[in-house]
Amino acid sequence: MKNKTIGVFYDGNSSVPQPIELSFDKGTSMFHFELANNTANSWKLESVSFEKKGMALNLQHGEETVQSIMVKDSDFIRDLTVFRKNNGQLDWYHKLLNLGLTSHAFFAFLIMLFIGLSYVYAIPWVAEKSVVLIPEDYDDKLGSNFFQENMFFSSVDSVKTAALNAFAKELKLKNNKPIKFTVVDSDIVNAFALPDGNIVVYQGILDEMKSYEELVALIGHEVSHVNNRHSMKAICRSLSGYLFISAILGDANGIMATIGDNVNSLQSLSFSREFEHQADLDGFEILVSNGVNPQGMSDLFKRLQQDNTISIPEFLSSHPLTEERISYIDKMIKTRSFEAKTNDKLKGIFEKLKK
Amino acid sequence: MNEPLTSSKSYKIDFNGNGSDFFGVIIVNWLLTIVTLGLYYPWAKAKRLQFLYGETSLNGDSFSFHGTGKEMFKGFLKAILIFISLYGLLALFIYLKIPFVGLLLFYLGFIAILPLAIHGSYRYRMSRTSWRGIRFGYRGDRNELTKNFFKWIFFTIISLGLYGSWMSINLRKYLLNNVRFGEIEMNYEGDGGDYFILNLKGYFLTVFTLGIYAFWWQKDLFEYYIDNLSLNKGKDEIQLNSTVTGGGFFKLAFVNLFILIGTLGLGYAWVVTRTMKYIFSNIELEGNIDLDSIQQTEANYKDATGEDISDFLDLDFVM
Repeated sequence: MKNKTIGVFYDGNSSVPQPIELSFDKGTSMFHFELANNTANSWKLESVSFEKKGMALNLQHGEETVQSIMVKDSDFIRDLTVFRKNNGQLDWYHKLLNLGLTSHAFFAFLIMLFIGLSYVYAIPWVAEKSVVLIPEDYDDKLGSNFFQENMFFSSVDSVKTAALNAFAKELKLKNNKPIKFTVVDSDIVNAFALPDGNIVVYQGILDEMKSYEELVALIGHEVSHVNNRHSMKAICRSLSGYLFISAILGDANGIMATIGDNVNSLQSLSFSREFEHQADLDGFEILVSNGVNPQGMSDLFKRLQQDNTISIPEFLSSHPLTEERISYIDKMIKTRSFEAKTNDKLKGIFEKLKK
Repeated sequence: MNEPLTSSKSYKIDFNGNGSDFFGVIIVNWLLTIVTLGLYYPWAKAKRLQFLYGETSLNGDSFSFHGTGKEMFKGFLKAILIFISLYGLLALFIYLKIPFVGLLLFYLGFIAILPLAIHGSYRYRMSRTSWRGIRFGYRGDRNELTKNFFKWIFFTIISLGLYGSWMSINLRKYLLNNVRFGEIEMNYEGDGGDYFILNLKGYFLTVFTLGIYAFWWQKDLFEYYIDNLSLNKGKDEIQLNSTVTGGGFFKLAFVNLFILIGTLGLGYAWVVTRTMKYIFSNIELEGNIDLDSIQQTEANYKDATGEDISDFLDLDFVM
């Protein structure tokens, strides 16, 4: 090992460069050097902190007054590093740092993978489970606020609202909170459920329907959203996804955060698809358990898809409706056994609900 | 040494860091931050600053950042405590059903924290930065800065923001004029009025040229910062001089954007090192201060609370 080199010493009190001859004694692990005024100095290896600066190595010694030696001899630096490594003097941090670009790129890949996996699997799961912690009061408050703000500018048809509520009363909905229906006089082909149990149905979607079974299917579907707290779950998922992304990338840089944001909205879209699927299944069960022909659900979706070839009805865009959705309902109709007979009371109310 | 007039000396300031080394620092930081569920953040920050300072050199000798993760972690805890008490105060007043008083106190508290954070972070950063073992230091007075800060904020509000230019320059002047490097004093000579006109011109030309002028505006702002900066030691002086160009900034931003997009953000390390290299290679120093005879004058200061509050608030205007 090369154990002698020249360096520049700074005494920590002035910026005067003092050229020195620095030697390292392997046996005792000590640095030795002599200053111009003939004072001899010895530094123990363990009491020296090393800092790599470009091609040079900076040796620092002392607490309050920090003395330092700058060494530029690459052979000396390499041998010293090897010696420190062999004697367990190199800490784990520098070991990680010295692994090189390929390993670091691999780490980066692992980190990205980890972030991706936790974002897609862990975070939504945690968020959904944490919905239990949010009191149901909050769902109610959120829903009724939204309801009041929205209904302020809508014309509510009170006669039909009463009729729809009477219609729903005839059904066993397995609801865990009171459900209240409202019919809005508007051509919009849509219906939506609020977390407080308010379900808003537009006249437009009622006019599209040809049978009361379709209306039961719609009600069953919307009630499932309320029962499963889908709105709150969606909020929690999207919020926690956003928080996660911004916590991870927040201080990385703006562009990454923007990319993350868009990924997040894509993700919430498929979340709602998953919720729609659950609502379809629950709706199907409600149809069957009330002795209503589940063909109504299939009919409703097909009609909504066919009758609106030019503009996509809102029910479809907010409840993404695909061929796949119709096909799994048709499949269930074929495989499940059910008893259905015409319910004249429901049929009567349904006629009144149509224009 | 005793000559009355020392001849002009040559100085060179450089950034030597390369992207792949910085990438290593960032990735190891990321890894450890994730493994420790975020607790490593102060240490990660220390490592990042140590790298960036260590790769910056003056006349071939590097700067050093001596701040440690432990110091910044302590500061981090104090900063959290301060924010919690602020929010606690707000919550208390909301509970007492006088939310307006609470909000007023909350915002006043927030504004009052700003000068304290700036003061603290300057003291910490400067004291923990050295070159050839000689520490930097910040000698501003906390109360004076706070008083001035409130005065400037008040003027800015009643002038509907117009005073903002004067406020920025006054603040910069106060901070930089109190920076020491051993016995060397820093000196900034900007003027709020000039700065206002510079920004007005920059804004309108940027709008008229559909954004293209923004790079030349940036060049003007950088020039206004650097060209007004000088170092003094007794009668000796070093004048700083910027040689950046609008075209240079344009090229820098354009290539950086491509690196970021092309690597899905992973090229961030190269973006930083390229930017630092461009900036430091375009600062010229001219004068006659003898850098080989600076004496240590500034004390150690290890409280990182202000530094951490600034970090929370994203106040990133430490030089």
